[in-house]
This record gives sequence, structure tokens and C-alpha cells, in this order.
Amino acid sequence: MPAGHGVRSRTRDLFARPFRKKGYIPLSTYLTTYKIGGYVDVKVNGAVHKGMPHKFYHGRTGRVWNVTKRAIGVEVNKQVGNRIIRKRIHVRVEHVQPSRCVEEFKLRKVKNDQLKAEAKAKGEVISTKRQPKGPKPGFMVEGATLETVTPIPYDVVNDLKGGY
Amino acid sequence: MPFVKAQKTKAYFKRYQVKFKRRREGKTDYRARNRLINQDKNKYNTPKYRLVARFTNKDIIAQIIHASISGDIVLAAAYGHELPHYGLEVGLTNYAAAYCVGLLLARRTLKQLEMDAEYEGNVEATGEDYSVEPGESRRPFRSLLDVGLVRTTTGNRVFGVLKGALDGGIDIPHSEKRFAGFNKDNKQLDPEVHRKYIYGGHVASYMRTLMEDEPEKYQSHFSEYIKRGIEADNLEGVYKKVHAAIRANPEAKKSEKPPPKEHKRYNLKKLSYEERKAKLIDRLKALNSAAGVDSDEDDE
Repeated sequence: MPAGHGVRSRTRDLFARPFRKKGYIPLSTYLTTYKIGGYVDVKVNGAVHKGMPHKFYHGRTGRVWNVTKRAIGVEVNKQVGNRIIRKRIHVRVEHVQPSRCVEEFKLRKVKNDQLKAEAKAKGEVISTKRQPKGPKPGFMVEGATLETVTPIPYDVVNDLKGGY
Repeated sequence: MPFVKAQKTKAYFKRYQVKFKRRREGKTDYRARNRLINQDKNKYNTPKYRLVARFTNKDIIAQIIHASISGDIVLAAAYGHELPHYGLEVGLTNYAAAYCVGLLLARRTLKQLEMDAEYEGNVEATGEDYSVEPGESRRPFRSLLDVGLVRTTTGNRVFGVLKGALDGGIDIPHSEKRFAGFNKDNKQLDPEVHRKYIYGGHVASYMRTLMEDEPEKYQSHFSEYIKRGIEADNLEGVYKKVHAAIRANPEAKKSEKPPPKEHKRYNLKKLSYEERKAKLIDRLKALNSAAGVDSDEDDE
């Protein structure tokens, strides 16, 4: 019999619930609100059968473009052949988590605004750009003893002990 | 001792998945809670209120709650033990008291939301099915009944709370099938019977039968009623006065007691590492000295 390529093929482990986390899903999944334009991670919850995305989208992050009664429309990038298509899928809220990818950016925005306001008050010019880590500074090596290693001259008699 | 195979092996404990805490305590039905709390995503942060009615052995608790990730938030609450403020001192857990608590909760929330003038509700409790009509400026306050784990039979006291809240002016989707006085045969609510229950008529008729048949039992059972001069005939009047008092002033009364400076501890304090080690050393010392004494006795 051939292998079969159904929608949920090869998802035995992917969609399985983790160890000792089976059964009822915590209600915070239902209480989180999602706004259009926010980012979400798609993570399939095998306990809920309705509104499951295809296994390709498991682990993808996308933007929210639609919010309905029980589901969310997510726009995810998918590479098809030689191009990347923006695919729009609808997923139930149980299979979606709020993404933390923008969290660092938002915090940095707030901090930068604060730094700029402070600098403006003092009257100095600052750059809030992030700099990449440069090369390490030079340093003197401490506690180094010099040991000169010279090669031993080749001794024919000793080295050919085994046989020749 | 005969060889007994260990039922709960180490493997059992390793693989055991505990249920949610409130399920272990047997207090929350998560299936029902899920359906009560779930709000349409395209309604975003609009709260979904539930009218929680719970009965203990001596008290009635009615609260309006909405859920949030950090915990449920109570908008307003009414308790059976508040009814003495409104003139009802006995029978604090019967159907009539449940009606009073529901009414109190409804008037309290509406007053808090400044909707009490617009939504009077049903002032005269007739026992008929009453639903709030939408007023002029604001839509009625909507909430869903949460019974908890009780079996919803016809005439259950939670529906007394429901009826009280409805007559108080809150919009709660319901059907009259479970009100006291619903007749299964012709599938109709008999408002007369329901009205009897709301005004404690069932208690009054029991009082009358006891007075005739077993006067001693009547004295012992209804002693608190007799002490306050409440008889079968004026029971209805008492409840009418309570309803009026509730409508007049539903505000919650602040307790005059100052909050205690140090909270009373209900469980043992967790010991620190040093304290536990010290305890162990003391125990060992005691054991050693006792063992020393025993070994001396054995030697002699």
C-alpha cells in the first residue's frame, strides 16, 4: 500500500501533545486578544481538531490580517519554487500564540525615546543606533615564560630499532 | 505479612498528570467555564460578565464576575449574610432569600453602573416570566448565569437568584423551564406557584402543617422565627418589606472594624534551610541521648 499524502500525513509526533500536558487546555489561550497587524506564532494544538492549519505552517510567524469570532487570519510567507508567496490562512485561536519577535523592538523604541528626551533636555546630541560588536581590544599576555623548542637531530641508529 | 504488589509504583507517579488545581479541589467545571468565558475574538476586550450563584450550608454568594488572564475580576457581590441589614434575619438560604440576594446584587450593580434609574425591573414580584426591555440611552446590562456544579433541577435555589436578578433589571438569557412551579405535563410555568416560593409560601405552609400536627417540632425547628414573632401568615409581609428595603438602598455596607494589623496565619510557615537543619540536629541529639539512656539500661 502506498504511503498516502493526506493533509495530516507525517504529523504523528508534530501534532502530539507534550508529555503530561494532555487534556484540557488552559483558558488563557481563549482570553488573549489579537489585533490586526500584530505578530503571532502558529503552533498547532493537537487536542483541538477544528481550525487546524496545515503542518507546513507549524512554527511559522506571521501578521494578523483578520479577526473573526473564533479564529484569526494570519499572513505567512511560503517559498513556492523560486519565489516567496504571502499566504493568508485562517487558524483557530487555540493554534496561535502571541509572538515575542517585536517585543525587543518595542522596548528599544521606548528606551530610545526616553534617551532622546533626556538628551534634548540637556542639549547634547546622541546617537541611539545599535552598533555591532567590534574587534576585541589588544592586550598584553601576562605571566608568559619563554620556552625554546628545538628539534632533536635525527639519530639513525636509535630510530631504526625495529627493523629496516 | 503476605507479599503485596505495590499498586502505585514509582513509574506511576512519574507518568501521572495532575488535573487542574480547581478540578482537583472539585470546585470548577472547566468545560462549563470554557464556554462561559470564551468571548468572540472580534469583540476584542469587551468583558463577558457571568452571574455566579453559589450556596454554602449557611450562606448564599452571588457575584458578577468577568475573566482576565491575571484572574477573574468581581464587579459586584451580594451575600446572604447581608440580608439582616434589610430586615431578614432568619431563613437565609431558602428560595425566598435567594431571590432577595439576586435582587440585591442586580440593584447594586445597576447603581454602580448608574443605570438603576433607567432599569427598574419588575417592582412587584408576580412570579411571571419577566425579561428586561431595552431602555432609551443604554442597552441593558447583560450577564450569563453560572451555576457551578449544582444539578439544575426545577425549583433549584440558583434559579431563585436568577429570578431576583431578572426582576432587578439585569438581562440574562434564560428559559422558564427550571423555575419553581413549572409544570412538566402541560409545559407551562404556573406564576402563582412561583410567586408562592418567592414570598416563602412553601415555608409558611410547612409552618402551618407543623403547628397542627407536631407543635413541639414546630417550636424546635422554627424557634428563631418564633423568637422574632414571624408566623406563617406574616411571612409574606416580611419579604415584601425586604424587597422594598433592597430597592431603597442597595449600597454595600462598609465594615466598621479596622483591618487587622497582622494577618492571621492559616497554614504553617515554611521553614528556611537553616531552620530545617537546626531542627534535624535537635532531633538527632534527642535520639542520641534517648539511645544512650536505653543502651545504658540494656548494659545494666
